Amino acid sequence: MRFLIFFIVILTLSACQNEALDESYENISDENEVQENVFLDLNIPSNFPEPTYEIENNKPTQAGFELGKKLFYDGRLSSTGVISCGFCHIQDFAFTHHTHIVSHGVNGALGTRNAPPLQNMIFMEDFNWDGSVSHLDAQPVVPITTEFEMNESVTNVLNKLQNDEEYVEMFNTAFENDTIDTRNMFKAISQFVMMMVSTDSKYDKVMRNEGSSFTEIETQGKTVFDQKCASCHVGTLFTDQSYRNNGLPIDPQYNDEGRKRVTGEEIDKYKFKVPSLRNIAVTFPYMHDGRFPTLRDVLDHYDSGMVQTQNLDEMFIQEDGSLGISLSETEKEQIIAYLNTLTDDNFLLDDRFSEF
Amino acid sequence: MMETIKQISLILILCLVLNACSSDNTSQEFGDLEINFTNLVGGNNLELNTETYAKNGDETYSVSELKYIISNIVLTDNNGNQFVYPQAESYFLINEAIPQSQSIKLENINANTYTSITFGFGVDQSKYPLNGVDNFVPTAEEQGMLWSWSAGYKFLKFEGIYTSGNVTDKPFLYHIGSHGQNLDNYREITLNFLQPLALSSSETPEVNINFDVQKIFNADFALLLSDKDDIQIDPENAPKIVDNITKAFEIVLN
Repeated sequence: MRFLIFFIVILTLSACQNEALDESYENISDENEVQENVFLDLNIPSNFPEPTYEIENNKPTQAGFELGKKLFYDGRLSSTGVISCGFCHIQDFAFTHHTHIVSHGVNGALGTRNAPPLQNMIFMEDFNWDGSVSHLDAQPVVPITTEFEMNESVTNVLNKLQNDEEYVEMFNTAFENDTIDTRNMFKAISQFVMMMVSTDSKYDKVMRNEGSSFTEIETQGKTVFDQKCASCHVGTLFTDQSYRNNGLPIDPQYNDEGRKRVTGEEIDKYKFKVPSLRNIAVTFPYMHDGRFPTLRDVLDHYDSGMVQTQNLDEMFIQEDGSLGISLSETEKEQIIAYLNTLTDDNFLLDDRFSEF
Repeated sequence: MMETIKQISLILILCLVLNACSSDNTSQEFGDLEINFTNLVGGNNLELNTETYAKNGDETYSVSELKYIISNIVLTDNNGNQFVYPQAESYFLINEAIPQSQSIKLENINANTYTSITFGFGVDQSKYPLNGVDNFVPTAEEQGMLWSWSAGYKFLKFEGIYTSGNVTDKPFLYHIGSHGQNLDNYREITLNFLQPLALSSSETPEVNINFDVQKIFNADFALLLSDKDDIQIDPENAPKIVDNITKAFEIVLN
């Protein structure tokens, strides 16, 4: 009888444990899924800051990345079926719309601003020329729904994806809840975009002592740059992520008020985001409206092209009342040589991001 | 006798063990709650387009559109314990033109007796994306509650025509949301229930909340349409409007 009691107790206890056993079984199967859906390593080098993007909330996986990439290059995100994200964000040019002054959208519609590069987005505090979007996961809604960009509704995009077997399968693999919804779509696009880190230019190799060194003119350029440009184009990202009016004559065609559109504040009128200068040699044309075709034009503007408009940044107003940053012709050449060291071919030619 | 003792102790042990076993999953009871929003002007149901109303500053107006976002519902009992409704499911668009939208049903709430309700007016964009608001995009988009250029939500869309002084039947428009990281127009509102609200699996209580449209114009701040009839991204006036709105909700039945 004692044996019987013992036996029953054991049985009962093990019945009790079933739940725990099930859990560990689930853990094992989770791990299997993880193995199937490999987490990707961002490999952020030592000379970069901590990301602002909360990667833990949306850890990139192979399947999520592939899904994000497919979405990024899929014209069905637009109303006409042909304008994808990649249409205006071309990898070879650090994901800008090469040579296009302003972005182009459905049926040849023209935007009002120059498509900004996509690189190192995980370090950014907010997005677009005026900071109108404060989280990477919210960004896709802007190009998708803007009339002169993709001119589509998120609802329609989701319907198209839900009726596509390949997408159904890819969402199932990428996300635990197997659902095609806005959240997962945006998270997938973020997983693709967050992997776009440009950290391997000659500049980086010099800074990290990886065997490269600047030429004489590049070194001279760095000296001038650090003295005259680096207060705004600061640090590894080459931007302080602030909004400033850099004295561009107002283009009457757009009369773009810049950051004021976002904050409603007069003090933000004509201010635009200080852009990163990484891969700057390939992201022409320049400025929020693409008005300058070359870096030389940009430097000429800072040297002698500025006009006094509302909220012109004080740093451009010299003691004698003149505007701009005086630069000699030699200094301009030196700066351009230095900026060329920010071109990161490993990023521009990285197969992981390429459409084909 | 010995045999009986053994049998009893066996049963006792089994009971103990089984009981220990089930103590992990004490059965939490759940219930549902229905909240009905009624938009009123001066005690009468708001009538879109057809009615003209008097407001502060000798102005009159009629409303063609009234929509707003309610979010982040939390119920509190008299010990201060809170039930936070799952955030991702806690976004609702109240549209005067769609009667069904004015009644929202919350499901699987912990059974308890609650004394107050807290909800957000608009979307708490500071907590983005943890607040799960992405999946609200299609609803908001279909009803014109998104600013496509900023990926932000319009918390309030309030439009119509007004007459003031020499101005007759001029359009007015209030579109209020948060912008960037500096202009946060999200507000939280807490209302006490008229009597403790008992929520159980067998009882689905209803709560009626009135929204007084007049207060949009006049509560903490008195706004004149003749001063400004188009308020959108407005760091001065938009916060006044949402502050007024925090005074516009009232529980009238529960």
